[in-house]
Amino acid sequence: MIEKLVKLLFSPVTFALAFLAPLFAQILDALALSLPIASNLTLAFIVAGTWGLMAQLRGSWIWLK
Amino acid sequence: MAEVARETDWDALSQDQLDAMERKIAAKYMGHFPLGIVLWGFANTAVWLALWPLVLMGVMPLWLAFPIAVFNVCAAYLPSHDAQHSIVAREGHKLRWLNELLGHVSLIPFAAPFRYLRHTHFEHHTHANDPALDPDYDVHAQSRRDFFRKALLRMQPGDTKGQQAYPAALKRVGKEHLVLEALAVRAVYVLVLFGMAWSGHAIEAALLWWIPILISQVYIRYYLSWKPHHPGKDTGRYQDTSAFRSALGNVGSSGMQYHIVHHLYPRIPLMQTPAAYRELRPILERRGCDLGEL
Repeated sequence: MIEKLVKLLFSPVTFALAFLAPLFAQILDALALSLPIASNLTLAFIVAGTWGLMAQLRGSWIWLK
Repeated sequence: MAEVARETDWDALSQDQLDAMERKIAAKYMGHFPLGIVLWGFANTAVWLALWPLVLMGVMPLWLAFPIAVFNVCAAYLPSHDAQHSIVAREGHKLRWLNELLGHVSLIPFAAPFRYLRHTHFEHHTHANDPALDPDYDVHAQSRRDFFRKALLRMQPGDTKGQQAYPAALKRVGKEHLVLEALAVRAVYVLVLFGMAWSGHAIEAALLWWIPILISQVYIRYYLSWKPHHPGKDTGRYQDTSAFRSALGNVGSSGMQYHIVHHLYPRIPLMQTPAAYRELRPILERRGCDLGEL
């Protein structure tokens, strides 16, 4: 149980959703950028979540490994 | 002693006499209280901690705080390194608490666990350049370009080989429990990042901690591990590291130009290694050490 929690905490998907998503959203806000189709946070979640999922499955944030 | 060293006919000395002279010179630099590195360790962490309220309260702009944070995080490891070797105070000394406190506190900006690094570092000293036993062996690379390529790959979550070297070294020496300490420190680090991000301060957290740590991991591995041990093919007391001249100078390379002195006598304080090197140089030459252009 604890091992699973530790793996979850340090997983790329968690990092993407818990840190990168709000980071991307706040960067978009700071640059006063927005798209009409979705809020910055939704957009950031989609981008960061997809990236995190790729890093999780591929084992690399940059595809290369 | 310096005058004695200058006047000595080194080539006339036997191996035993060289040994004795080497130990005598080294002893001169050991045992002094390293006030400079103690102040450095605590001040560096204090400055880095102060950046947070200064930035969050709008007193200091983030563009100014970011390079300071990068400097702080890059400078965080070395005071702890002296503490790892108990240079401030050995076990049983009345100032032992200060040694251990320095080790822990100085590493806060680097978000790294002191005892975990200490015991893996001891294994590095014992087995430097041994492919199977040196926990830092994975840093070796054929060229500078290769080092940066490997450094990038090492940061990836799938790089299990690099991530397992330290826990494996701790297991060999019966200190596996320190892995838990490492996990706890890293957990605090990521939870602070997450908390900052969700309270609306993701950019500040990224520029004061996350990105500085990414930069410092490359810098520290380059100057403290790859460069002084490159090409890393030889083992043995006088062959497993070298002296070198850095384009950034001794300060810019975190004092690593004289890393050979540290491996020979780990209890010589970092700030004393240049002077110790200058006195030891004639002996090291006769030992066949790689002294670069230094």
